[in-house]
Amino acid sequence: MENKQSSSPASFVDSTVVPGDVVLDLSSMTSQTIKLGGGLRQDCDAISAMKAGTLRFSKPNKYWIESSQKRYVPCVEDTILGIVVDSKADNFLIDIKGPAMGFLPVLAFEGGTRRNIPKFEVGTLLYLRVVKANFGMNPELSCTDASGKAAEFGPLKDGYMFETSTGLSRKLLSSPTCPVLEALGKKLSFEIAVGLNGRVWVNAASPDTIVVVANAIMNSESLSGAQQIIMVDHLLKNIQ
Amino acid sequence: MEEADEMVTPGEVLGKATDLKAGKGAYAASHNNTIYASLTGFRRIQAPPPASNDKRPTVEVTGHKAHGPVPEPGSVVIARVTKVMARTASADIMCVGPKSVREKFTGIIRQQDVRATEIDKVDMHLQQDVRATEIDKVDMHLSFRPGDIVRAVVLSLGDARAYYLSTAKNELGVVSAESSAGATMVPISWTEMQCPLTGQIELRKVAKVVN
Repeated sequence: MENKQSSSPASFVDSTVVPGDVVLDLSSMTSQTIKLGGGLRQDCDAISAMKAGTLRFSKPNKYWIESSQKRYVPCVEDTILGIVVDSKADNFLIDIKGPAMGFLPVLAFEGGTRRNIPKFEVGTLLYLRVVKANFGMNPELSCTDASGKAAEFGPLKDGYMFETSTGLSRKLLSSPTCPVLEALGKKLSFEIAVGLNGRVWVNAASPDTIVVVANAIMNSESLSGAQQIIMVDHLLKNIQ
Repeated sequence: MEEADEMVTPGEVLGKATDLKAGKGAYAASHNNTIYASLTGFRRIQAPPPASNDKRPTVEVTGHKAHGPVPEPGSVVIARVTKVMARTASADIMCVGPKSVREKFTGIIRQQDVRATEIDKVDMHLQQDVRATEIDKVDMHLSFRPGDIVRAVVLSLGDARAYYLSTAKNELGVVSAESSAGATMVPISWTEMQCPLTGQIELRKVAKVVN
């Protein structure tokens, strides 16, 4: 029996791929609809990778490439943290760590009308949702959820914002709760907002708590679950 | 009667308004009744039409190779879309009518000028009520993409930056477009084009090709 390095889907899922690898061969699969997520591209019958990362598969038919970067590529329905850079007649210009500025329409707030347009200073940190993210156009953002309610979106007051990679942001938002957040939550009380574009905002009663939480999260990027818990215990011992 | 053509530049005196009439590329200054050139080119004199009362020959400045066609309101142009934004799309005008332009002209297609009504979403054979205008709900990204070639009509000279263009007719719109896979797409309806390599359908405001 020949032991071929076949390109069957099972062999590439959950393994590292680089741009150019053909990860799926459509001609060898029966007629089914496959959904391609980020980082994959179709060339006639071959699906090849465009990004370097891990190929992931979720039932029944979704494939995508997961990787962690410092730069963010805007995606519809992502929740992100943006910083106001400028305000124009119809929208605010928001920096979202992506290739282009995001546009936040001045009316995209709960109960927003021309009479009560919020005034944001340059530098205000906002928790936002991406409404439209088309290639070549500036992404459109909003401070409401899909039904028009405010739902936690809007300016974040006080606290401290630091930058992380996009992979760490996704880990912090995964469920069940990421080990570092759980370990910190057992001993400290704090408020946290995670943006999928690689920004995290932390607020707590005392600055010491904020610094410990921020350092713990920044350290946890390359640690496994158990290592994260040990690291958090170590940090907390130093301040108690 | 033809004189030897001489090269003139803007501002040069071409003659007196009492002897000559100002034609293309020339103008008459009213304060001293002199005809000056306004373009660079060759000075040509044309005999007066025999039927008119005015016996003055017309002087015009023509022939320089930079005098390409210029978009005028009402002319049909071919343009390449450069940028698509929420409410406008920018395009570089490449041809005016059948001739290509010699210098860069920019055009803007506004959201309300993309299509006339929602009529091109309705099968005319079904005789349904057509919503009069939902033109403010046009999604620019579903009508044009950067790199598309469109046929449009010039609405007006617009502002200092760009001509105003319109594609609000059946025969106006996207003439040729490339899919994200890189192949030239085939139009399959008023609003859809299909990529021959991947079979993916992309939405555009498609121009009806009249043979």
